[in-house]
Amino acid sequence: MAKQDNFNEKWDVQLRKGTLELVILAALHQKERYGLELLKYLHSFETMQITEGTLYPLMDRLKRDGLIDAYWNQEGDSRPRKYYLLTETGRHKQQVLVERWRRSVLDIESILSQ
Amino acid sequence: MSNREVIHQYLKNLSTYLSRLNKEEATEVIKEIESHILDVVEAKEQAGEKVDANAILAGFGSPRELAEQYVAHMLEGTPPPVGFNAIQTVKKGITRGAYYGMFAFGVSVSTLLILVGLAKFFLPDQIGLWSSTHGNSVILAFAADTQPNAEELLGYWLAPIAVLLGLGVAKLTKSVLRVLKHHL
Repeated sequence: MAKQDNFNEKWDVQLRKGTLELVILAALHQKERYGLELLKYLHSFETMQITEGTLYPLMDRLKRDGLIDAYWNQEGDSRPRKYYLLTETGRHKQQVLVERWRRSVLDIESILSQ
Repeated sequence: MSNREVIHQYLKNLSTYLSRLNKEEATEVIKEIESHILDVVEAKEQAGEKVDANAILAGFGSPRELAEQYVAHMLEGTPPPVGFNAIQTVKKGITRGAYYGMFAFGVSVSTLLILVGLAKFFLPDQIGLWSSTHGNSVILAFAADTQPNAEELLGYWLAPIAVLLGLGVAKLTKSVLRVLKHHL
């Protein structure tokens, strides 16, 4: 059983390598989020158990690539938090990736069902 | 170590490993990660759970591994193989040495030239550019006596030429330092 879990985890990691960018863009497409909020949101899905050490450097890269933007915001008594949102380029990239993802799923499904 | 100390130490180490980024970028990274950690700590305290800083930090990985991901884009092509980090440190030392060396050299040469130019007005006979031994050698000197058997070349023209050269060297030094600083 433990071996099976380990295998599943490895598979998740492999799959996420290509899809995490899409997942994050899509999560920010819904609404602006700060790091911890985004992480908790992803952790609510079984196959999206990424670590802080994966998330933050990736956010840094997406920002560097001009796909997302960030600003500091303080609400009420809470600590200032860094919120992320999609840029116009990010919005466009998200649409393109969503299309490619759906195409891939259809293709794979089609292969599996033959 | 208390939780606070563990977190402080982690951020301090991270800051060291992020030194390749410019200061503003590094501060931004630290600030965000600190905000995240303190948010988690606070949430745990409010829920009455025991706070274990090491467990919280585990998700970020070691400061070194985390920093490497932030600076990865600065390394051209593939990341260097393990063991190359030491060489990078040495290279960085040379750049730092070159920076301060260039600064000292540029400032002293330009100051000297400007001083020579200005001093010509006060000590016209002792300062000059002489050609001696029938033009086989040239002497730029601040001399107690006028040069024997030598012909002074510039006269008072020495003043503006030396000052302008001095300013030129200063400007050149400034631009070279700017380039060096960028790679520091």
